[in-house]
Amino acid sequence: MSRGDERRKAREQGGSDMTKFYVILGVVVVVGIGAVAYSLGSTALGAAAMEPIDVEGLDDMALLAEMAQGVPKGDDDAPITIIEFGDYACPGCGSFALTVKPQVELLLVETGKAKFVFYDFPLTTVHPTSFLASRSARCAQDQDKFWEYHNALFRNQTSWRLETSPMAQFMSFGEDLGLDSDDFEACVKSDRHADLVSANMRLGYELGVSSTPTVMVHGNGQSLRVPVTFEGIQAAMDHLLGSGDPGGAN
Amino acid sequence: MSYEAQNVGGAATAAPPTNRMVVAVLALGGFFVALYLFAHNLGLGGPIVCGVGDCATVQSSQYASLGPVPVSFIGVLGYVVLLALSLVGLRPSHRESRMIGGLLLAGSLGGGLFSAYLTYLEAFVIEVWCQYCVVSAIIITLIFFASVPEVARLREGSS
Repeated sequence: MSRGDERRKAREQGGSDMTKFYVILGVVVVVGIGAVAYSLGSTALGAAAMEPIDVEGLDDMALLAEMAQGVPKGDDDAPITIIEFGDYACPGCGSFALTVKPQVELLLVETGKAKFVFYDFPLTTVHPTSFLASRSARCAQDQDKFWEYHNALFRNQTSWRLETSPMAQFMSFGEDLGLDSDDFEACVKSDRHADLVSANMRLGYELGVSSTPTVMVHGNGQSLRVPVTFEGIQAAMDHLLGSGDPGGAN
Repeated sequence: MSYEAQNVGGAATAAPPTNRMVVAVLALGGFFVALYLFAHNLGLGGPIVCGVGDCATVQSSQYASLGPVPVSFIGVLGYVVLLALSLVGLRPSHRESRMIGGLLLAGSLGGGLFSAYLTYLEAFVIEVWCQYCVVSAIIITLIFFASVPEVARLREGSS
């Protein structure tokens, strides 16, 4: 073989190796971009509303009262209404939900003595994902699973409250409860219920709520803000029903 | 490894070094792994998708950043540098380059040692594993081994 042939053969061999190399590199690029995009996209927030929105007409108290909607539990005709303004990412609300609320439900709500109403009050300045959590609970309410989802958020609070984007956890809670995943995801990743949650927050501010959980007991035309303990709630109820001192209520 | 020089018409050319091709492919894969973690650090995605281990714990630990710089960003940067070096080292004019060989060796060794330190933290300090960090550690180790033939190139060049 002449030197010219050897040179040509070497060039061809080198060129062939580089062609294979570029093909492999291209495959890695395509697979890599696809995998990263899929992984990020599957849990990304998309167009999810994360903060309160401006809702026209909330300065009008009558309209605000109409737009703000708590989620009730218990007998509509109960003489007492226990109202909580809560933030799903707030540890105090989590503690209230896991320790005090079960007693309230068992001893006061299920016995018909009181009705419990939960209003969203996400403190978005300290809990960036709590507005999203409130909206996701309302999305679960669309599928008649509000309280189940509400409890799941509080029960698993430590798993998501510090996440930048807890979408995967929210989806997981929904799946565990048998929610229609597509509908639920579409709802959470939209701005649905942002107006309702914003109205609830505005109502809270109008009522002087500045921290969470804030619990009020309403009955006989009076409202008392009470300590977030079962004893505090019970004392306020006794007072409103004319059989006791309100204790720490104010 | 086919990195022997061939004198063609008086100009030194060599077959493309296979080890640098391997480094390039591995570095590109490592880049995407690090990029995913870095995107998570930037809040671009949701929680880390983690089938095995506990990536969220590792990524939220104090060891997930060096000062203000996320470790994942260091990974992205490191892999980009290794990828760039290997691609440049595949150009006909640089296939015999000792400087590229030296930089590849040094970079992969530095990356490997840093990765070993991070793996030690996962195993004995944080005591949880992040699968992406483990994959990255494996990749940088393979890159180091793929860079070892550069030693022969360095010796050849210096003799």
